[in-house]
Amino acid sequence: MSLERIKPHLPWITLLVLVLIVGIADSNFLRPQNLMAMVADIMPLFIMALGMTFAIYIGGIDLSAQSVANMTTVVATVALPTFGISAALICIVAGLTFGAVSGFITTRLLVPSFVSTLAIGGVAYSTAQYLSGQRALYMDATLRDNSFGWMVGNSFGISHEIFIGAALLLIMLFLQHRTTFGRALKAVGAGELAAVASGLSVARIKIIAFALSGMLAAIAGLLFAVKLSGGSPTLANGFLLPAIVAVLVGGTPLTGGVGGVLNTLIGTLIVAVIRSSMLYFEIDATMQQMVFGIILIVAIAATIDRSKMRIVK
Amino acid sequence: MYQLNKVDKKFPGVHALKAVDFTIGRGEIVGLVGENGAGKSTLMKVIYGAYQADGGTVTIDGTTVRFQSPRQAMEHGIGMVFQEQSLITNLTVMENIFLGFESQFVKFGIIDWKAMAAAARHQLSKVKLDIDPAMTTANLSFAQRQLVELAKVLTLEERVDGDLVILLDEPTSVLAREEVELLFKLVRELRTRASFIFVSHRMDEVLELSDRIYVMKDGEVVDVVDHDEADIDTIQHKMVGRDIDKEYYREQKQGPYDTNNVLVSFDKVSLAGRYSDISFDLHAGEVLCLVGTEGSGREPILRTIFGLETPTSGTVSLKGQQIRSFNAQTGVSMGVGYIPRERKVEGIVGGMNVYENMTLSQMQNYASGGVLNISRERELARQWIDRLSIKTPSVFKDCGGLSGGNQQKVVLAKWRSAGSDIILLDHPTRGLDIGAKEDVYDMVREMCDDGAGIILVADTLEEAIGLSHTILVLKDGEAQQVFHGQPGDKPSLYDLVHHMT
Repeated sequence: MSLERIKPHLPWITLLVLVLIVGIADSNFLRPQNLMAMVADIMPLFIMALGMTFAIYIGGIDLSAQSVANMTTVVATVALPTFGISAALICIVAGLTFGAVSGFITTRLLVPSFVSTLAIGGVAYSTAQYLSGQRALYMDATLRDNSFGWMVGNSFGISHEIFIGAALLLIMLFLQHRTTFGRALKAVGAGELAAVASGLSVARIKIIAFALSGMLAAIAGLLFAVKLSGGSPTLANGFLLPAIVAVLVGGTPLTGGVGGVLNTLIGTLIVAVIRSSMLYFEIDATMQQMVFGIILIVAIAATIDRSKMRIVK
Repeated sequence: MYQLNKVDKKFPGVHALKAVDFTIGRGEIVGLVGENGAGKSTLMKVIYGAYQADGGTVTIDGTTVRFQSPRQAMEHGIGMVFQEQSLITNLTVMENIFLGFESQFVKFGIIDWKAMAAAARHQLSKVKLDIDPAMTTANLSFAQRQLVELAKVLTLEERVDGDLVILLDEPTSVLAREEVELLFKLVRELRTRASFIFVSHRMDEVLELSDRIYVMKDGEVVDVVDHDEADIDTIQHKMVGRDIDKEYYREQKQGPYDTNNVLVSFDKVSLAGRYSDISFDLHAGEVLCLVGTEGSGREPILRTIFGLETPTSGTVSLKGQQIRSFNAQTGVSMGVGYIPRERKVEGIVGGMNVYENMTLSQMQNYASGGVLNISRERELARQWIDRLSIKTPSVFKDCGGLSGGNQQKVVLAKWRSAGSDIILLDHPTRGLDIGAKEDVYDMVREMCDDGAGIILVADTLEEAIGLSHTILVLKDGEAQQVFHGQPGDKPSLYDLVHHMT
């Protein structure tokens, strides 16, 4: 069996092997409560990675995801007393707008997405700083529980965050596989020139992809803010690298066109297992970003399709 | 004396070179002709070291050599003048000439620019090009760049002992006739220093310049003809291995077109820098062929009709309706279907399966509220797989893995199933084998019978003549001449070439 045949199956094989290794080393790891807590804990990151999947699937990237999430932790906290549950809507619209602007800059002004999203990330970060007065803000416990208590509760022994993540995954899965948008997205990712020559409005599709990425980053921020009961311009720092790792390790390459949201689920679980194993093996928390940085490099170097990316700058 | 003995080269699924024998003597000019896919480029790549042969031997003056890279081939005096311009346009002429070989001018880590300029001037004098070596290459004309490429290869003269073998790959494709003559004169003079292998699609030029001509077909050398015995017809017959007859292009199926039904109308249309003042009408059932050399404006005209280019002046009408906003969505909704030249890049989406590719331009017909009805898509794909006998294991097969001919059928099915009746064919038979080409010709006739109009940019002039009702000859973006051809009464190759160049 050649490497090319195995490649699509590498993500889940990796996940299985990691789970087995950590499970053997740490007898507590495979306990259902532990696994459940681990999955619930990773959900904000998973939601951000879901959005990132769309940006990477069309061959771009969204470096603003973390800043947009940061911004929405602040927006949610500031808007909660006035708007109640509608604060969620404000967050979603803000995320959509920031993403759409990135998409517009990328497609109409022809600025590569790594630059446009980095720049828009700067705007989101400043917005967060302005709105928060550069302080950490806290939600009023009663207000939070009245409006967003449902996000963090438990039903049937399963944390609600997992339901939210699963619901978003199903929606995105449907979008990817069953809609004209998902099909167009695949065409743009796998063969943009052919998509143009088929009369698709490639620019519009890309803008929607970035808008979705922004929206999901905002939902990730909202969930995180509710979970921690507050917001700050730096609350979600440390999310960006693992979110990109989750997408790429899951099997959606930087060149786009293959993989998808289900792959990102697997990628996120790999990230989660690595994270918790680091706790068990007593690797210092300060090392975490370094570990993800190294994994990112290894994952890209090992999996990228050189025939699609001949020149690397 | 450079020799290839029984050289063999295989790629997955293709036997590209089959026991090829090839000899070139000192000062000889050897022509190399063959259809697309006959193995010319593979043979050249073996000669200049980009590919390594799987079998057979390469000898220079009786010594066996084996090149691992073009650089090694250069050290043995073998140089390549590339078809696509390989000069880096933002470097100066001299930097280009000595690219990768600057060390000879370095003193104490610093390049002696004056010495390099002097050396470059010496090289340029070999090709009789009187330009400042410090000029930026972008400022040169295409003809001048071609000569700089040749000068660059001629630096081998100083670097290696022994004779040079220089490959010229389609060197005349961007040149005007008088520039071609200058180039030929130069090559004849240079034969005191080098032998040349001349590859070109322009048969008359090959005949004019070459001492001997190698004719290739399906990876084999089918004939070697001396200059004095060479004759275009004979060579062409050997290239295709069969008579190019009326049967081949389905001329008997060419019906009259409907003069009352105008599908596309160009009225004095210009696109700055591409074409100017173009007028024509395309009727239902008509095949209109745009003929001209590379860069004559054929492709930009197709792209304008599809909506990818916005003309700078003039009126374009589709089915009597004047087009004001040019974009591909409008084109598609007006019934325009575009079959691009780069089939693997623009035609099909590799990584998507047969039905996904077929509905790509018409997804709204297979969806309600943005949700796809995938079972109907599969049904459509199955129908067209039957109708066009597309060879694929199933509708789920990745189109990137189909053969060229079947990929082309998928692209055609995409437009025809959507009811497109203005079909733009850009080199639809490029790289296809003969059987697949005939399938495409059959489809062209069927589409005309169904009332579609076709604008064709053909792969060869023979194809243009054989297929079309009307031929519009273009040169440098301007219309030269219009020919009308009935079955049995078609313009000749000479008629077309005469107006093209």
